Amino acid sequence: MGCASPDDSGIGGSRPPATRTATLSLLWAGLALLAGACGSESEPGEVVLRVANWGSPAVETSFMALERQIREQFEALHPGVRVQVEQIPGAGQYAPKLLMMHVAGSMPDVIHLDASSAAAFIDNGVLRDLMPYIERDPEFNLEDFFENVVAIARRGERLYAIPLDFTPMVMYYNKRLFDEAGVPYPRPGWSWDEFLDAARRLTVFPPDGGPPLQYGFNFENHMPFWVLWLWTNGGDVLDPSGRQASGNFDSPRSIEAVRFLVDLMTTWHVAPHPKEVLTAGADLFLAQRAAMDLKGHWMIINYRASGIDFGAVGLPTNGVEPVTVIYEAGLAITTKARHPDLAWEYIKFMTQPEIQIRRVASGLAISANRHAAAHFAGNPIEDVFIQEVQHARPPWGATVERYPFVEELGREMLEDILYSEGELPVEQAMRQTARLIDAALGKR
Amino acid sequence: MRHAQRTNWRGYVFAAPATVYLALFAFFPMLFALWMAFHRWHLLKPEHPFVGLANFGAMFADPFFRGAIWNTLIYVACSVPLGVITSLAVAVLVAQPVRGVGVFRTLYYIPAVSSQVAMSMVWIWILLPEVGLINYLFGCLNDWLHTNIPTGTNFLARPGWAMAALVAMSLWIGLGPRMIIFLAGIQSIPERLYEAAALDGCTGWGRFRHITLPLLAPTMLFVVVTTTIAAFQLFTPVYIMTRGGPRRTTDVVLYHIYKEAWQKFDVGMASAMSYVLFAMILIVAVFQFRLMRRGLELEATT
Repeated sequence: MGCASPDDSGIGGSRPPATRTATLSLLWAGLALLAGACGSESEPGEVVLRVANWGSPAVETSFMALERQIREQFEALHPGVRVQVEQIPGAGQYAPKLLMMHVAGSMPDVIHLDASSAAAFIDNGVLRDLMPYIERDPEFNLEDFFENVVAIARRGERLYAIPLDFTPMVMYYNKRLFDEAGVPYPRPGWSWDEFLDAARRLTVFPPDGGPPLQYGFNFENHMPFWVLWLWTNGGDVLDPSGRQASGNFDSPRSIEAVRFLVDLMTTWHVAPHPKEVLTAGADLFLAQRAAMDLKGHWMIINYRASGIDFGAVGLPTNGVEPVTVIYEAGLAITTKARHPDLAWEYIKFMTQPEIQIRRVASGLAISANRHAAAHFAGNPIEDVFIQEVQHARPPWGATVERYPFVEELGREMLEDILYSEGELPVEQAMRQTARLIDAALGKR
Repeated sequence: MRHAQRTNWRGYVFAAPATVYLALFAFFPMLFALWMAFHRWHLLKPEHPFVGLANFGAMFADPFFRGAIWNTLIYVACSVPLGVITSLAVAVLVAQPVRGVGVFRTLYYIPAVSSQVAMSMVWIWILLPEVGLINYLFGCLNDWLHTNIPTGTNFLARPGWAMAALVAMSLWIGLGPRMIIFLAGIQSIPERLYEAAALDGCTGWGRFRHITLPLLAPTMLFVVVTTTIAAFQLFTPVYIMTRGGPRRTTDVVLYHIYKEAWQKFDVGMASAMSYVLFAMILIVAVFQFRLMRRGLELEATT
């Protein structure tokens, strides 16, 4: 472990923060004072390294206990240093809150960067280029990490985050429900037709009518999940440059994909229509009332805890090569970091194989460090995920700043279609939404 | 003369902290937002070109923003009259000299001291299909009276019902503060007026209609205006419970502003929309003042 010299000087690669009007800075300075006043108190002579992470600090999990142990190990290696983790709860709140802290000048030194909202940070001067740190540091090897995962935070020659862990999206299936229905387990390279056939055979209707007691597939109107149906049909949301939805989101391939999804709910009734979901927040796959679910690695923690006998397989495709998405978390140093060199030591520490193996053993994700990931090879479920990495693409949010807004438009569109009871044709809704996306992306 | 000046000077000193606070944290940000409204202003990008009225033009060309204005007006039109009537009714009840009335007053006030986020979570559970409190009670009714009320209604997922649920929740949240203000107004009405009315044979509804209500007019004005302003600023329950859905039926102006600022980072547009909301509130409040002041004057002359 290299010696950390916690000096406050930035290094060559950092960019100066954007200049702003003096009046605005004054206001933010006032707010920062307030924020500082209710922040943490540091002992004299102690260096506090602030690390932002998402998730609620209120719920103490065994994983958080593990993270604390790892933090204490880092602190033991760096006497006089205290790592202060700042948990930011609320889905969708993490990026806005951190960007506001950046503007207010109270930004933590290190942030966890979610690939789905990375563009807003990378492309607005919020993060430092890490290449100078990597080049200076003989102990750190970027080749240790999965290349297409590293690529998420790359912009030309610059690199803005070191990947921590990631997950491709896969199809989980409940082995018991498949066995009971006498349906063979899905195999890699399966098609939409095979998926629909399995889903229909796994759906159980009550004898007296009404919504199914058991669904073939657990559908949730959450665009980060359902965008995969566009991809596995050769469609997409945006053109390769990430600027235009018209001609992509409303292409025949994309329309066919959404029509397939809508039919799952309205024609075949093999997936729950939003109005049939009886208890909001309850996961039907977890309750063993849905036989298949399209999710990421993190669900394994819950499935194991609930004792579900599950398998995983790549996504079914419709006449195209297998494809999936990588949802990833990386560590980045902010331009306004007070202790950038110490921050780099922290990132190096957190991404090394020994620490990674301990972190991902919980089932959270796959380590982006190949050596740590290799440690879990041979486990059939893990092998499915490793297999899927080669077809995995970064999410649009890694390069398109307003993509979270696009995902909101997509969610509203699907809601519109499903609630219109067939009055709003899929094609019309998607053309309309493609125009809305273009307006949202193109304007400024 | 000299004495008067010294008094003024002291007054300014006492007013200074509040004035400085308001200037720094209210008036300055408000003026700054007005400045931003006429610029293309990305939260994080350094250049902010002047665009004139372009933000205003774009927002009114956006059918979803017009929809959000419409939804806000529907919410205000439903929640304000219902909110005022229910809280006035409760205030009249808890003004009665009944044993344990303090307990009721406290109970009705509890929602006002709770976090809106926590209450929104509670209401999500109240409104759930089958297992939610409302649907559960429908189930009980069905069992006792052999009725056939559906118990699977997912209120927050049905257009129409979702807005109704938000209005219902607003009645409950706003009840306490409005009730307290009405109660203060009722208790300041001299008892002798009621005695005089009783001598004239006026009872019950008549007492309320001809004494309580007219003398509550100034209180009523205050409650109506503040309730209206709060209704225009609906945000938390929408953010927690419906996210503007289903089918944008609960996408209100403030939620729309939030999305503009925090999902599109377009704080210039968000500022412009805030000023539109401000104008809407101002127009309605002035209208209410005018209308009710005329009412006050009429009462005074009769």
